[in-house]
Amino acid sequence: MTALAEVPAQRIVRAIADAAERFADADFPPRVRLLDRIVERTGYTMPVVEYALDQLFFSITAPALEGAIAAELGSLHALDRFVERTPDTHARAFPLGRVAIVSSRTTIGVAIVPAIFALCAKCDVLVKDREDGLVRAFFAALAQELDPMAEAARAQAWQGESDEVDLRAFDAVAAFGSDAGLARIRERVATHAPFIAFGSKASVGYIGRDALDDATQARILAGDAARDLVLYESEGCLSLHALFVERGGAVAPAQFAEYFAAAVESAAVEFPPGERDARANARIASARNLAAFRAAGGNGSVFSDERASFLAVLDPPASEPPAFLPRALAIRTVDGPSEAAEYLERHAIPVEAMAIAGAREEIVNMACAMGAHRITAFGRLQRPPLANTHGGRPRIAEFVRWVSRDR
Amino acid sequence: MHSYREESARLDDALFALIEGWHRGGHDVVDDEFDTLALRVFAYQLRYNEPYARYCASLGVTLDRPPSSWHGIPPLPSAAFKEATIATFDPARAELVFETSGTTQGVGGKHYMERAALYDAALIAGFDRLMLPDHQRLRYFNLVPARAERPQSSLGYMMAQVSAARANGAGFYLRGDALLMDPFLADLSVAIERRTPVCIAATAFALVHLLDAMRERDLFVALPTGSRIMETGGFKGRSRVVERDQLYDELCECFGMPRDAIVAEYGMTELTSQWYDDVLVAKRPDDGVRYKVAPPWLRARVVGPDGTTLPDGTVGAIVHVDLANRSSCLAIQTEDLGVRFERGLVLIGREAGASLRGCSLDAEDLVRR
Repeated sequence: MTALAEVPAQRIVRAIADAAERFADADFPPRVRLLDRIVERTGYTMPVVEYALDQLFFSITAPALEGAIAAELGSLHALDRFVERTPDTHARAFPLGRVAIVSSRTTIGVAIVPAIFALCAKCDVLVKDREDGLVRAFFAALAQELDPMAEAARAQAWQGESDEVDLRAFDAVAAFGSDAGLARIRERVATHAPFIAFGSKASVGYIGRDALDDATQARILAGDAARDLVLYESEGCLSLHALFVERGGAVAPAQFAEYFAAAVESAAVEFPPGERDARANARIASARNLAAFRAAGGNGSVFSDERASFLAVLDPPASEPPAFLPRALAIRTVDGPSEAAEYLERHAIPVEAMAIAGAREEIVNMACAMGAHRITAFGRLQRPPLANTHGGRPRIAEFVRWVSRDR
Repeated sequence: MHSYREESARLDDALFALIEGWHRGGHDVVDDEFDTLALRVFAYQLRYNEPYARYCASLGVTLDRPPSSWHGIPPLPSAAFKEATIATFDPARAELVFETSGTTQGVGGKHYMERAALYDAALIAGFDRLMLPDHQRLRYFNLVPARAERPQSSLGYMMAQVSAARANGAGFYLRGDALLMDPFLADLSVAIERRTPVCIAATAFALVHLLDAMRERDLFVALPTGSRIMETGGFKGRSRVVERDQLYDELCECFGMPRDAIVAEYGMTELTSQWYDDVLVAKRPDDGVRYKVAPPWLRARVVGPDGTTLPDGTVGAIVHVDLANRSSCLAIQTEDLGVRFERGLVLIGREAGASLRGCSLDAEDLVRR
């Protein structure tokens, strides 16, 4: 039996929401104590870290949790008792058991969302925490809200593939990481246990010509897209990694690229660039200079600054995959969604989310066809609603075991 | 105004003199001398290398607004060789054409050289002084592509020239990616029997396979005194990467040789000249760091993202200025990281790929698919 087995689901939800509310307070001492450590681990600047924590914890509310659970399980009560699922069947969602969540090299607090849903499912949860100890601190706040959480929610750091934690002992394992890292983890998971892998993904944007009717609208759009690029130094799977802009609007793609570059510079005021290592600096400078070489030969345009703190390149060769560098983006001019699809297919980009501007259904169809798990507006790419699927996977359904009872 | 031919000949004369002076007499190139020649070559390239001149103009550097020293010569990103013909002459007249490997993305570039003699002179001078300071005549075991098989490989050409000029016997033991182990072992046995010192020249990747093959046969040998290994090329685009330290340890154990008999050569298809570890020529005690040194017509700047030269001891991207790149582009920007010290250049993790943090984004994963 798990530590939360006898606790009503609503009580668990309330405890999580209350702990999150405390962490949403910028002056909450445990949060304040974490800031420097998160800055040190990620290299992001303080405003970015504060923003990330706000986004994370403000989104964790009781209504949001209950809504997400109801959307997937039909009812929050299904976690406590048998409820009617179909006219002929009652069913109850029992905890799957012990859940391990392995977060490696992730952005801020990524493991917390699956952890709280696993806890809502009344599972015992162990999270592989990062050096900053964010999950551990949040779990401590949870335990203050609800005693059994001290046993149910645990976080600890362990080294790569060492055997400090035997993943075979868990009934489900969720993991974030590179393809190679996930493959190694998968080998250590019990055969009966679901392995919920969140591998490498990228997000892209598409701007239809109808969204470029006038300069004011285009500037707003550019500002929103810039925010999607700069947050978390473009390192997240929800960061903007490629942008397609249609020809034929009142604002030409080249003009839009100028607006975008200006907006990226402005966004740096709110979210200053983080610390970059020498390799990232070398790559981005090299990418900028190559783009400048092409531009000098009449191919495309490049927007950057002396220190290469950002890079926007208009129309690099289609043979070139996205740069995947901090605050670097290629803006690709297209006639229609099929060109964007061709590019994404050519480079086998696994799409997590697509920001779109423009009302045409064919753009939405392209996003679906490209495997996007989420379609949203520019400026919201990095703010997924709590109830959304992640990687197309449900939030709580994978942490429960259904028992149905025929009438 | 001189003709292209005359200008080129004058520059080549100056370069040959400089190479010869260092090769035969050990004459170093003082800063002023390097600066003057670099700015001459640069001005010449602005006149005759149109894509490079256009690029420099876009950065505000022209014949009318030249840089004040070699530090200000705009470096061309090495990838530009994949996008345009980087040459001061009609490439149809090239005496040598080397192709870049294209790294993992598979797009290659070409380095056209107008005169093979210039390449050969720079190569042999550098090799003699930095790989063969003891003037040993070695038996060469080249685990690099043979010219006949891959004529576009600069590494193959390099070792063919060295073997022709300096070898006491030589062979090529690579076909495609496959090692020709039987002939390699047979020839190695003869060399060992005759106590002929050898040079095994191979990419790091080939050395890993050589060690695997030696292990499979349970073979350990003691190479004759004076033998050496020249390792080059790294692991770019390869699936199996071994830490260099581990590789060297295993080579020492397998071939019974000291660690300072392993010299890492660092070159690029886009350059004419090469860097070498200073282990065979160092006048200072080994401090465990591999410093790279080059012939005096090749210098490196370590730069920050704004392109300015960083102080010694600071990690940054390497910009090479190779005067022997007379007929292409003398200043090449790389993504290789390095640190400059008084003693030489230290390369940092050339083969390490980007590993971006994410939820969950791994750039290497994404570009590999």
